[in-house]
Amino acid sequence: MMKWLFGICSMVVLCCSQPASAEETGWALFDKVQQSVKQHNFDVSYVVLKGGQAETYRWLHGRSGDKEIEHLIPMYADGVDIVRRSDKVYYLLSERPSLVTQSSSIKELPPLLFQSPEKIRSLYDAVAGSSSLMDGRSAQLLRLSAIDDNRHHYWLWVDVQTGFPLRIDTLSEQHPNNKNRALEIWQVTHLRITPELPDTLAQLLEIELPALTPPVVAKPASQPHQLSWLPKGFSISDDPLLVPQLQPDVLSYWLLSDGLHQVSVFVQNSHQLPTQAYRDGATTIYVQADAKQDVTVIGPISIETAKRLAAAVH
Amino acid sequence: MLSEKQEWLSQAADNHALTAEQLSELLQQPDLQETVQRYQLAGAVLRNEAESVLPLDFADNLASMLEQEPTYQLQNSSSLLQKMKNGLLQAANAEWFKPAAHGAIAASVALVAVFGVQQYQQPLEQQLSAPTPLLQTRPVAGFATPVSLSQTSVENRFEAQEQQAMLEQQQRLQALLQAHRQQIRVSETQTNKTSTQEKREQ
Repeated sequence: MMKWLFGICSMVVLCCSQPASAEETGWALFDKVQQSVKQHNFDVSYVVLKGGQAETYRWLHGRSGDKEIEHLIPMYADGVDIVRRSDKVYYLLSERPSLVTQSSSIKELPPLLFQSPEKIRSLYDAVAGSSSLMDGRSAQLLRLSAIDDNRHHYWLWVDVQTGFPLRIDTLSEQHPNNKNRALEIWQVTHLRITPELPDTLAQLLEIELPALTPPVVAKPASQPHQLSWLPKGFSISDDPLLVPQLQPDVLSYWLLSDGLHQVSVFVQNSHQLPTQAYRDGATTIYVQADAKQDVTVIGPISIETAKRLAAAVH
Repeated sequence: MLSEKQEWLSQAADNHALTAEQLSELLQQPDLQETVQRYQLAGAVLRNEAESVLPLDFADNLASMLEQEPTYQLQNSSSLLQKMKNGLLQAANAEWFKPAAHGAIAASVALVAVFGVQQYQQPLEQQLSAPTPLLQTRPVAGFATPVSLSQTSVENRFEAQEQQAMLEQQQRLQALLQAHRQQIRVSETQTNKTSTQEKREQ
Protein backbone atom coordinates (compact mmCIF):
# COMPACT_ATOMS: atom_id res chain seq x y z
CA MET A 1 0.00 0.00 0.00
CA MET A 2 2.79 2.37 0.96
CA LYS A 3 4.57 1.55 -2.27
CA TRP A 4 1.50 2.52 -4.29
CA LEU A 5 1.03 5.70 -2.35
CA PHE A 6 4.66 6.63 -2.86
CA GLY A 7 4.37 5.85 -6.57
CA ILE A 8 1.29 8.03 -7.01
CA CYS A 9 2.86 10.87 -5.03
CA SER A 10 6.02 10.83 -7.13
CA MET A 11 3.95 10.75 -10.33
CA VAL A 12 2.04 13.83 -9.20
CA VAL A 13 5.25 15.64 -8.27
CA LEU A 14 6.82 14.73 -11.61
CA CYS A 15 3.78 15.92 -13.59
CA CYS A 16 3.72 19.24 -11.75
CA SER A 17 7.41 19.94 -12.03
CA GLN A 18 7.74 18.92 -15.68
CA PRO A 19 6.19 22.02 -17.38
CA ALA A 20 7.99 24.42 -15.08
CA SER A 21 11.36 22.83 -15.73
CA ALA A 22 10.70 22.60 -19.50
CA GLU A 23 9.93 26.32 -19.46
CA GLU A 24 13.11 27.05 -17.51
CA THR A 25 15.20 24.95 -19.95
CA GLY A 26 13.67 26.99 -22.75
CA TRP A 27 14.56 30.30 -21.15
CA ALA A 28 18.06 29.08 -20.30
CA LEU A 29 18.53 28.24 -23.97
CA PHE A 30 17.18 31.65 -24.93
CA ASP A 31 19.66 33.35 -22.59
CA LYS A 32 22.41 31.36 -24.29
CA VAL A 33 21.25 32.68 -27.68
CA GLN A 34 21.29 36.28 -26.47
CA GLN A 35 24.73 35.82 -24.95
CA SER A 36 26.17 34.25 -28.09
CA VAL A 37 25.22 37.17 -30.36
CA LYS A 38 26.73 39.60 -27.84
CA GLN A 39 29.90 37.79 -26.82
CA HIS A 40 31.32 35.96 -29.83
CA ASN A 41 33.45 37.29 -32.66
CA PHE A 42 31.55 36.10 -35.69
CA ASP A 43 31.05 36.50 -39.43
CA VAL A 44 27.59 35.45 -40.53
CA SER A 45 25.64 35.58 -43.76
CA TYR A 46 21.89 35.30 -43.55
CA VAL A 47 18.79 35.63 -45.70
CA VAL A 48 15.38 36.97 -44.77
CA LEU A 49 12.68 35.19 -46.74
CA LYS A 50 9.38 37.01 -47.02
CA GLY A 51 6.98 35.04 -49.16
CA GLY A 52 8.72 34.85 -52.52
CA GLN A 53 11.27 37.55 -51.76
CA ALA A 54 14.70 37.16 -50.27
CA GLU A 55 16.99 39.75 -48.73
CA THR A 56 20.58 38.82 -48.00
CA TYR A 57 22.78 40.32 -45.33
CA ARG A 58 26.29 39.90 -44.00
CA TRP A 59 26.64 40.41 -40.28
CA LEU A 60 29.94 40.76 -38.42
CA HIS A 61 30.40 41.20 -34.72
CA GLY A 62 33.39 41.52 -32.48
CA ARG A 63 34.34 42.31 -28.95
CA SER A 64 37.55 43.81 -27.63
CA GLY A 65 37.51 44.18 -23.87
CA ASP A 66 34.36 46.11 -23.03
CA LYS A 67 34.06 47.61 -26.53
CA GLU A 68 31.63 46.08 -28.96
CA ILE A 69 31.60 46.47 -32.72
CA GLU A 70 28.97 45.25 -35.12
CA HIS A 71 28.77 45.65 -38.89
CA LEU A 72 25.70 44.82 -40.94
CA ILE A 73 25.81 44.95 -44.73
CA PRO A 74 22.52 44.65 -46.62
CA MET A 75 23.70 42.88 -49.78
CA TYR A 76 20.62 43.86 -51.79
CA ALA A 77 21.15 47.61 -51.29
CA ASP A 78 24.20 49.27 -52.78
CA GLY A 79 26.39 51.52 -50.70
CA VAL A 80 24.69 51.02 -47.33
CA ASP A 81 26.73 50.06 -44.28
CA ILE A 82 25.31 49.84 -40.80
CA VAL A 83 27.83 49.97 -37.99
CA ARG A 84 27.20 49.80 -34.27
CA ARG A 85 29.89 50.85 -31.85
CA SER A 86 28.71 50.12 -28.32
CA ASP A 87 25.57 52.28 -27.97
CA LYS A 88 25.69 54.24 -31.23
CA VAL A 89 24.41 53.04 -34.59
CA TYR A 90 25.78 54.59 -37.80
CA TYR A 91 23.94 54.29 -41.10
CA LEU A 92 26.72 55.08 -43.55
CA LEU A 93 25.39 55.84 -47.00
CA SER A 94 27.37 56.58 -50.10
CA GLU A 95 26.73 60.06 -51.50
CA ARG A 96 24.24 60.92 -48.80
CA PRO A 97 24.65 62.18 -45.25
CA SER A 98 24.87 59.44 -42.64
CA LEU A 99 22.34 58.89 -39.93
CA VAL A 100 23.62 58.29 -36.41
CA THR A 101 21.30 57.06 -33.70
CA GLN A 102 21.62 56.12 -30.08
CA SER A 103 20.79 52.46 -29.73
CA SER A 104 22.27 49.34 -28.21
CA SER A 105 21.20 47.23 -31.17
CA ILE A 106 20.83 47.51 -34.93
CA LYS A 107 17.13 47.64 -35.67
CA GLU A 108 17.47 45.70 -38.91
CA LEU A 109 18.50 42.60 -36.93
CA PRO A 110 15.82 40.48 -35.23
CA PRO A 111 14.90 42.56 -32.14
CA LEU A 112 14.19 39.34 -30.26
CA LEU A 113 17.93 38.71 -29.96
CA PHE A 114 18.61 41.99 -28.17
CA GLN A 115 15.63 42.93 -26.03
CA SER A 116 15.81 42.37 -22.30
CA PRO A 117 14.87 38.78 -21.36
CA GLU A 118 12.46 40.07 -18.68
CA LYS A 119 10.48 41.95 -21.33
CA ILE A 120 10.31 38.91 -23.59
CA ARG A 121 9.33 36.65 -20.68
CA SER A 122 6.38 38.93 -20.02
CA LEU A 123 5.14 38.44 -23.60
CA TYR A 124 6.15 34.86 -24.44
CA ASP A 125 6.30 31.29 -23.16
CA ALA A 126 9.47 29.41 -24.05
CA VAL A 127 9.48 25.69 -24.76
CA ALA A 128 12.57 23.79 -25.85
CA GLY A 129 11.76 21.37 -28.67
CA SER A 130 13.48 18.54 -30.43
CA SER A 131 16.94 18.53 -31.97
CA SER A 132 17.58 18.29 -35.67
CA LEU A 133 20.44 18.63 -38.11
CA MET A 134 20.75 21.96 -39.91
CA ASP A 135 23.54 22.49 -42.44
CA GLY A 136 25.67 19.89 -40.74
CA ARG A 137 25.17 21.42 -37.30
CA SER A 138 23.10 20.02 -34.52
CA ALA A 139 20.25 22.48 -33.88
CA GLN A 140 17.79 22.59 -31.02
CA LEU A 141 14.33 24.01 -31.58
CA LEU A 142 13.13 26.70 -29.19
CA ARG A 143 9.51 27.77 -29.46
CA LEU A 144 8.49 31.20 -28.19
CA SER A 145 4.70 31.17 -28.04
CA ALA A 146 2.95 34.50 -27.65
CA ILE A 147 0.89 34.66 -24.47
CA ASP A 148 -1.48 37.07 -26.17
CA ASP A 149 -3.14 36.50 -29.56
CA ASN A 150 -2.06 39.91 -30.90
CA ARG A 151 1.54 38.85 -31.40
CA HIS A 152 3.29 36.48 -33.75
CA HIS A 153 5.08 33.38 -32.48
CA TYR A 154 8.78 32.72 -32.96
CA TRP A 155 10.49 29.42 -33.57
CA LEU A 156 14.24 29.48 -33.16
CA TRP A 157 16.72 26.80 -34.16
CA VAL A 158 19.77 27.16 -31.97
CA ASP A 159 23.24 25.76 -32.64
CA VAL A 160 23.80 23.34 -29.76
CA GLN A 161 27.56 23.90 -29.72
CA THR A 162 27.71 27.70 -29.69
CA GLY A 163 24.16 28.80 -28.83
CA PHE A 164 24.06 30.85 -32.03
CA PRO A 165 20.63 31.21 -33.72
CA LEU A 166 20.63 29.36 -37.06
CA ARG A 167 17.07 30.06 -38.10
CA ILE A 168 14.13 32.11 -36.80
CA ASP A 169 10.62 31.58 -38.15
CA THR A 170 7.88 34.11 -37.48
CA LEU A 171 4.48 32.43 -37.42
CA SER A 172 1.02 33.90 -37.18
CA GLU A 173 -0.37 30.68 -35.71
CA GLN A 174 1.15 27.42 -34.63
CA HIS A 175 -0.22 23.93 -34.77
CA PRO A 176 1.83 21.23 -33.10
CA ASN A 177 0.97 18.60 -35.71
CA ASN A 178 0.46 20.48 -38.96
CA LYS A 179 3.24 21.88 -41.01
CA ASN A 180 3.41 25.56 -40.12
CA ARG A 181 3.75 28.21 -42.77
CA ALA A 182 6.12 30.95 -41.65
CA LEU A 183 5.38 34.58 -42.53
CA GLU A 184 9.05 35.32 -42.44
CA ILE A 185 12.14 33.13 -42.21
CA TRP A 186 15.48 34.40 -40.99
CA GLN A 187 18.07 31.84 -41.97
CA VAL A 188 21.82 31.72 -41.48
CA THR A 189 23.62 30.47 -44.60
CA HIS A 190 27.16 30.77 -43.34
CA LEU A 191 28.50 31.01 -39.82
CA ARG A 192 32.06 31.42 -38.65
CA ILE A 193 32.99 32.09 -35.06
CA THR A 194 36.59 33.07 -34.35
CA PRO A 195 38.44 33.41 -31.05
CA GLU A 196 40.17 36.63 -32.17
CA LEU A 197 38.69 39.93 -33.28
CA PRO A 198 39.21 40.16 -37.08
CA ASP A 199 41.45 43.02 -38.27
CA THR A 200 38.73 44.72 -40.29
CA LEU A 201 36.52 45.01 -37.23
CA ALA A 202 39.45 46.16 -35.09
CA GLN A 203 40.03 48.95 -37.60
CA LEU A 204 36.35 49.83 -37.61
CA LEU A 205 36.56 50.14 -33.84
CA GLU A 206 39.25 52.80 -34.16
CA ILE A 207 38.28 54.91 -37.20
CA GLU A 208 36.54 58.21 -36.82
CA LEU A 209 32.80 58.10 -37.50
CA PRO A 210 30.29 60.94 -37.85
CA ALA A 211 28.83 62.59 -34.77
CA LEU A 212 25.35 61.81 -33.44
CA THR A 213 22.63 63.27 -35.64
CA PRO A 214 20.46 65.57 -33.56
CA PRO A 215 16.95 64.09 -33.75
CA VAL A 216 14.60 66.12 -35.89
CA VAL A 217 11.86 66.70 -33.39
CA ALA A 218 8.86 68.20 -35.02
CA LYS A 219 6.27 67.71 -32.40
CA PRO A 220 2.90 68.04 -34.04
CA ALA A 221 0.34 70.42 -32.70
CA SER A 222 -2.55 68.65 -31.03
CA GLN A 223 -3.66 65.81 -33.25
CA PRO A 224 -7.16 66.05 -34.69
CA HIS A 225 -7.88 62.37 -33.99
CA GLN A 226 -8.09 60.13 -30.95
CA LEU A 227 -7.06 56.48 -30.57
CA SER A 228 -9.49 54.78 -28.21
CA TRP A 229 -8.13 51.20 -28.07
CA LEU A 230 -4.71 49.59 -27.81
CA PRO A 231 -3.76 45.93 -28.19
CA LYS A 232 -2.86 44.31 -24.85
CA GLY A 233 0.66 45.14 -23.71
CA PHE A 234 1.10 48.05 -26.12
CA SER A 235 1.41 51.70 -25.13
CA ILE A 236 1.63 54.91 -27.12
CA SER A 237 5.09 56.39 -27.41
CA ASP A 238 4.96 59.91 -25.97
CA ASP A 239 7.01 61.80 -28.44
CA PRO A 240 7.31 60.16 -31.83
CA LEU A 241 9.51 61.86 -34.39
CA LEU A 242 7.83 63.15 -37.46
CA VAL A 243 9.70 61.66 -40.34
CA PRO A 244 10.20 64.24 -43.11
CA GLN A 245 8.56 62.03 -45.75
CA LEU A 246 5.18 62.49 -44.13
CA GLN A 247 4.86 66.05 -42.96
CA PRO A 248 2.34 67.53 -45.35
CA ASP A 249 0.42 64.33 -45.76
CA VAL A 250 -0.28 62.83 -42.35
CA LEU A 251 -3.01 64.30 -40.18
CA SER A 252 -2.37 62.20 -37.08
CA TYR A 253 0.29 59.70 -36.15
CA TRP A 254 0.83 57.29 -33.27
CA LEU A 255 3.72 54.97 -32.53
CA LEU A 256 2.76 52.04 -30.32
CA SER A 257 5.27 49.75 -28.65
CA ASP A 258 5.20 46.69 -26.40
CA GLY A 259 8.95 46.89 -25.83
CA LEU A 260 9.68 44.37 -28.58
CA HIS A 261 7.43 45.30 -31.50
CA GLN A 262 6.44 48.68 -32.91
CA VAL A 263 3.19 49.55 -34.64
CA SER A 264 2.54 52.78 -36.53
CA VAL A 265 -0.91 54.25 -37.06
CA PHE A 266 -1.25 56.96 -39.71
CA VAL A 267 -4.32 59.03 -40.54
CA GLN A 268 -4.44 60.68 -43.96
CA ASN A 269 -7.06 62.34 -46.10
CA SER A 270 -9.14 59.87 -48.05
CA HIS A 271 -7.83 58.73 -51.40
CA GLN A 272 -11.16 57.16 -52.39
CA LEU A 273 -9.76 53.64 -52.63
CA PRO A 274 -11.11 50.42 -51.13
CA THR A 275 -9.93 49.01 -47.81
CA GLN A 276 -6.83 46.88 -48.37
CA ALA A 277 -4.44 44.65 -46.49
CA TYR A 278 -0.89 43.75 -47.47
CA ARG A 279 1.86 41.77 -45.90
CA ASP A 280 5.58 42.45 -46.05
CA GLY A 281 6.93 39.34 -44.35
CA ALA A 282 5.71 39.50 -40.78
CA THR A 283 4.66 43.15 -41.13
CA THR A 284 0.99 43.73 -41.76
CA ILE A 285 -0.03 46.82 -43.71
CA TYR A 286 -3.72 47.53 -43.32
CA VAL A 287 -5.49 50.48 -44.92
CA GLN A 288 -8.99 51.23 -43.71
CA ALA A 289 -10.58 53.64 -46.15
CA ASP A 290 -13.80 55.61 -45.89
CA ALA A 291 -15.16 58.78 -47.45
CA LYS A 292 -13.42 61.05 -44.93
CA GLN A 293 -10.06 59.52 -44.13
CA ASP A 294 -7.61 56.64 -44.66
CA VAL A 295 -6.23 54.95 -41.56
CA THR A 296 -3.08 52.90 -42.21
CA VAL A 297 -1.77 50.49 -39.59
CA ILE A 298 1.73 49.07 -40.07
CA GLY A 299 3.34 46.58 -37.72
CA PRO A 300 3.98 42.93 -36.87
CA ILE A 301 0.44 42.18 -35.74
CA SER A 302 -2.42 40.09 -37.11
CA ILE A 303 -4.81 41.62 -39.64
CA GLU A 304 -7.66 41.33 -37.11
CA THR A 305 -5.71 43.37 -34.56
CA ALA A 306 -4.80 45.94 -37.23
CA LYS A 307 -8.46 46.15 -38.22
CA ARG A 308 -9.53 46.73 -34.64
CA LEU A 309 -6.84 49.34 -34.16
CA ALA A 310 -7.87 51.21 -37.32
CA ALA A 311 -11.48 51.14 -36.18
CA ALA A 312 -10.43 52.74 -32.87
CA VAL A 313 -9.43 56.00 -34.57
CA HIS A 314 -12.01 58.73 -34.09
CA MET B 1 59.41 -12.75 -95.43
CA LEU B 2 60.31 -9.15 -94.83
CA SER B 3 58.00 -7.86 -97.55
CA GLU B 4 55.18 -10.05 -96.24
CA LYS B 5 55.68 -8.64 -92.79
CA GLN B 6 55.78 -5.11 -94.08
CA GLU B 7 52.62 -5.69 -96.06
CA TRP B 8 50.43 -6.55 -93.09
CA LEU B 9 52.13 -3.83 -91.08
CA SER B 10 51.34 -1.34 -93.79
CA GLN B 11 47.76 -2.59 -93.89
CA ALA B 12 47.58 -2.22 -90.11
CA ALA B 13 48.71 1.37 -90.49
CA ASP B 14 45.79 1.87 -92.90
CA ASN B 15 43.35 0.63 -90.28
CA HIS B 16 42.99 -2.88 -91.66
CA ALA B 17 42.01 -5.56 -89.17
CA LEU B 18 44.76 -7.70 -87.66
CA THR B 19 44.60 -11.34 -86.73
CA ALA B 20 45.22 -12.30 -83.15
CA GLU B 21 48.66 -13.73 -83.96
CA GLN B 22 49.70 -10.57 -85.79
CA LEU B 23 48.54 -8.43 -82.93
CA SER B 24 50.43 -10.41 -80.31
CA GLU B 25 53.52 -10.33 -82.54
CA LEU B 26 53.21 -6.57 -82.85
CA LEU B 27 52.83 -6.15 -79.13
CA GLN B 28 55.86 -8.29 -78.41
CA GLN B 29 58.35 -6.88 -80.93
CA PRO B 30 59.45 -3.28 -80.43
CA ASP B 31 61.02 -3.06 -83.93
CA LEU B 32 57.60 -3.86 -85.49
CA GLN B 33 55.98 -1.15 -83.33
CA GLU B 34 58.59 1.29 -84.51
CA THR B 35 57.84 0.37 -88.11
CA VAL B 36 54.12 0.97 -87.63
CA GLN B 37 54.90 4.29 -86.02
CA ARG B 38 57.06 5.22 -89.01
CA TYR B 39 54.28 4.23 -91.42
CA GLN B 40 51.83 6.33 -89.45
CA LEU B 41 54.24 9.26 -89.55
CA ALA B 42 54.78 8.87 -93.31
CA GLY B 43 51.00 8.71 -93.84
CA ALA B 44 50.48 11.76 -91.68
CA VAL B 45 53.11 13.71 -93.61
CA LEU B 46 51.48 12.72 -96.90
CA ARG B 47 48.10 13.88 -95.54
CA ASN B 48 49.67 17.17 -94.42
CA GLU B 49 49.11 16.33 -90.76
CA ALA B 50 52.76 16.49 -89.86
CA GLU B 51 52.26 19.21 -87.29
CA SER B 52 49.88 17.19 -85.19
CA VAL B 53 52.16 14.18 -85.03
CA LEU B 54 53.97 13.83 -81.79
CA PRO B 55 57.74 13.31 -81.82
CA LEU B 56 58.78 9.67 -81.71
CA ASP B 57 60.39 9.92 -78.32
CA PHE B 58 57.46 11.82 -76.75
CA ALA B 59 56.54 9.02 -74.34
CA ASP B 60 60.14 8.59 -73.23
CA ASN B 61 60.55 12.34 -72.70
CA LEU B 62 57.40 12.51 -70.63
CA ALA B 63 58.48 9.54 -68.53
CA SER B 64 61.84 11.15 -67.83
CA MET B 65 60.18 14.47 -66.98
CA LEU B 66 57.90 12.69 -64.55
CA GLU B 67 60.91 11.07 -62.92
CA GLN B 68 62.55 14.45 -62.48
CA GLU B 69 59.42 15.92 -60.89
CA PRO B 70 59.89 16.55 -57.12
CA THR B 71 57.56 14.68 -54.77
CA TYR B 72 54.86 16.83 -53.18
CA GLN B 73 53.48 16.12 -49.72
CA LEU B 74 49.77 16.59 -50.09
CA GLN B 75 47.78 16.81 -46.88
CA ASN B 76 44.29 15.52 -47.05
CA SER B 77 42.70 17.36 -44.15
CA SER B 78 39.28 18.91 -44.35
CA SER B 79 39.99 22.46 -43.27
CA LEU B 80 37.54 24.93 -41.82
CA LEU B 81 37.44 26.68 -45.18
CA GLN B 82 36.48 23.42 -46.83
CA LYS B 83 33.73 22.83 -44.32
CA MET B 84 32.38 26.33 -44.86
CA LYS B 85 32.42 25.76 -48.57
CA ASN B 86 30.53 22.54 -48.12
CA GLY B 87 28.01 24.32 -45.93
CA LEU B 88 27.44 26.94 -48.59
CA LEU B 89 27.11 24.30 -51.28
CA GLN B 90 24.54 22.54 -49.16
CA ALA B 91 22.65 25.79 -48.75
CA ALA B 92 22.73 26.40 -52.48
CA ASN B 93 21.33 22.94 -53.11
CA ALA B 94 18.72 23.12 -50.39
CA GLU B 95 15.07 23.23 -51.35
CA TRP B 96 14.36 26.67 -49.90
CA PHE B 97 17.15 28.32 -51.80
CA LYS B 98 15.71 27.74 -55.26
CA PRO B 99 12.39 29.53 -54.71
CA ALA B 100 14.33 32.19 -52.82
CA ALA B 101 16.64 32.76 -55.76
CA HIS B 102 13.72 32.79 -58.18
CA GLY B 103 11.87 35.19 -55.91
CA ALA B 104 14.87 37.47 -55.68
CA ILE B 105 15.14 37.66 -59.46
CA ALA B 106 11.41 38.26 -59.89
CA ALA B 107 11.41 40.89 -57.18
CA SER B 108 14.34 42.74 -58.68
CA VAL B 109 12.62 42.73 -62.06
CA ALA B 110 9.46 44.12 -60.44
CA LEU B 111 11.53 46.71 -58.63
CA VAL B 112 13.13 47.92 -61.83
CA ALA B 113 9.76 48.03 -63.61
CA VAL B 114 8.04 49.90 -60.81
CA PHE B 115 10.75 52.42 -60.18
CA GLY B 116 11.23 52.96 -63.84
CA VAL B 117 7.55 53.85 -64.11
CA GLN B 118 7.58 55.96 -60.98
CA GLN B 119 10.51 58.01 -62.05
CA TYR B 120 8.95 58.62 -65.41
CA GLN B 121 5.69 59.74 -63.89
CA GLN B 122 6.96 61.90 -61.06
CA PRO B 123 7.34 65.56 -61.92
CA LEU B 124 10.90 66.76 -61.48
CA GLU B 125 10.03 69.14 -58.69
CA GLN B 126 8.48 66.41 -56.60
CA GLN B 127 11.46 64.22 -57.25
CA LEU B 128 13.78 66.85 -55.89
CA SER B 129 11.80 67.61 -52.78
CA ALA B 130 10.94 64.03 -51.77
CA PRO B 131 13.52 62.68 -49.32
CA THR B 132 15.08 59.40 -50.40
CA PRO B 133 14.42 56.54 -48.03
CA LEU B 134 17.38 55.33 -46.05
CA LEU B 135 17.14 51.69 -46.97
CA GLN B 136 14.89 50.98 -49.89
CA THR B 137 13.43 47.54 -49.46
CA ARG B 138 11.42 45.78 -52.09
CA PRO B 139 7.90 46.87 -53.01
CA VAL B 140 5.04 45.69 -50.89
CA ALA B 141 3.17 43.45 -53.27
CA GLY B 142 2.85 42.50 -56.91
CA PHE B 143 2.51 45.49 -59.14
CA ALA B 144 0.52 47.08 -61.90
CA THR B 145 2.03 47.07 -65.35
CA PRO B 146 2.93 50.35 -67.07
CA VAL B 147 0.06 52.06 -68.84
CA SER B 148 0.14 51.93 -72.63
CA LEU B 149 -0.62 55.20 -74.39
CA SER B 150 -1.94 53.66 -77.60
CA GLN B 151 -5.12 52.24 -76.03
CA THR B 152 -8.04 54.61 -76.43
CA SER B 153 -11.32 52.81 -75.68
CA VAL B 154 -13.34 54.06 -72.71
CA GLU B 155 -13.05 50.78 -70.84
CA ASN B 156 -9.31 50.81 -71.21
CA ARG B 157 -9.15 54.38 -70.06
CA PHE B 158 -10.95 53.41 -66.86
CA GLU B 159 -8.60 50.51 -66.41
CA ALA B 160 -5.66 52.81 -66.90
CA GLN B 161 -6.99 55.25 -64.31
CA GLU B 162 -7.53 52.42 -61.88
CA GLN B 163 -4.02 51.18 -62.44
CA GLN B 164 -2.65 54.65 -61.93
CA ALA B 165 -4.57 54.99 -58.67
CA MET B 166 -3.29 51.60 -57.48
CA LEU B 167 0.24 52.57 -58.34
CA GLU B 168 -0.08 55.80 -56.39
CA GLN B 169 -1.51 53.85 -53.48
CA GLN B 170 1.47 51.47 -53.57
CA GLN B 171 3.80 54.46 -53.56
CA ARG B 172 2.01 55.97 -50.58
CA LEU B 173 2.13 52.70 -48.66
CA GLN B 174 5.79 52.29 -49.52
CA ALA B 175 6.44 55.77 -48.11
CA LEU B 176 4.48 54.95 -44.94
CA LEU B 177 6.38 51.69 -44.53
CA GLN B 178 9.65 53.59 -44.88
CA ALA B 179 8.45 56.14 -42.35
CA HIS B 180 7.52 53.33 -39.95
CA ARG B 181 10.98 51.76 -40.33
CA GLN B 182 12.71 55.13 -39.91
CA GLN B 183 10.66 55.72 -36.78
CA ILE B 184 11.81 52.38 -35.35
CA ARG B 185 15.44 53.23 -36.17
CA VAL B 186 15.35 56.49 -34.26
CA SER B 187 12.85 55.54 -31.57
CA GLU B 188 15.38 54.45 -28.96
CA THR B 189 17.02 57.86 -29.20
CA GLN B 190 13.71 59.26 -28.09
CA THR B 191 13.13 56.85 -25.25
CA ASN B 192 16.67 57.47 -24.04
CA LYS B 193 16.11 61.17 -24.24
CA THR B 194 12.87 61.04 -22.31
CA SER B 195 14.38 58.80 -19.66
CA THR B 196 17.33 61.19 -19.18
CA GLN B 197 14.91 64.09 -19.02
CA GLU B 198 12.94 62.28 -16.36
CA LYS B 199 16.11 61.70 -14.40
CA ARG B 200 17.00 65.37 -14.62
CA GLU B 201 13.57 66.36 -13.43
CA GLN B 202 13.92 64.04 -10.47
